[in-house]
Amino acid sequence: MSESFIKAISASEIAPGGMKALELEGNEIVICNSGGKYYAIQRRCGHMNAPLEMGTLDGIYLTCPMHCAQFDVTNGEALSGPVPSAIGNEIPPPFLGKYLQNIGMIMKNVRTETIRTYTTKLEAGWIQIKVK
Amino acid sequence: MSQHIVNVESRKKSLHYFYEKVVMPLGFKFTPDKELMNFLLEQEVILEGKHGIPFCPCQPLRNDRIRDMQIVCPCIPFHRKHFNEIKRCWCGLFVHKDVLDPDKLQQLPPKGGEQ
Repeated sequence: MSESFIKAISASEIAPGGMKALELEGNEIVICNSGGKYYAIQRRCGHMNAPLEMGTLDGIYLTCPMHCAQFDVTNGEALSGPVPSAIGNEIPPPFLGKYLQNIGMIMKNVRTETIRTYTTKLEAGWIQIKVK
Repeated sequence: MSQHIVNVESRKKSLHYFYEKVVMPLGFKFTPDKELMNFLLEQEVILEGKHGIPFCPCQPLRNDRIRDMQIVCPCIPFHRKHFNEIKRCWCGLFVHKDVLDPDKLQQLPPKGGEQ
């Protein structure tokens, strides 16, 4: 079934701890180099669609750059939801208060979903990904 | 903040991974009491699900962001002086690296009053 794998990029393009975003057959994918092991995940965060390659990869744990939701790149599991923003104890001006109240109401119903992962393999220095 | 349902065991594992990186350079380690460690990590996962932040399970939230952020686990940097005296953190999740039996440690109030 090797024909279903697509040659993505050279392994030398991603340093250990690094990530690279690319598009393969319409799928937005991020390849993660976790200590020499390569994992491919969907590019969009399971919380609010932020591009995950702009986040932080530490071992097998990826932190989203937008609200710091965390995922396990080996299986895409959502490990934590968003971290509350630091607006402090100050009371915002009325127009902003109303806006933040509305956003808060909507955000309460936003769930952090597990993200999709893709099978990868390393062959002759190339990372190959099975997108289907 | 909405509740986020996560796999408790997976989250405990990831918290353990991140905490170790923070506490080791500060001279602390996880308590050798595995049962206590698992219990406290589980409580933190529950608190994180509720508040979005893994607060210390043994400290009350005061609805004062500055005070509350000082009890986000691991809170060692904020209370290090006291923890160095008692060789453990308040809840006992972390102990000094040289501690082999945390049950022998004494709970002492901080010198100079509340921290």
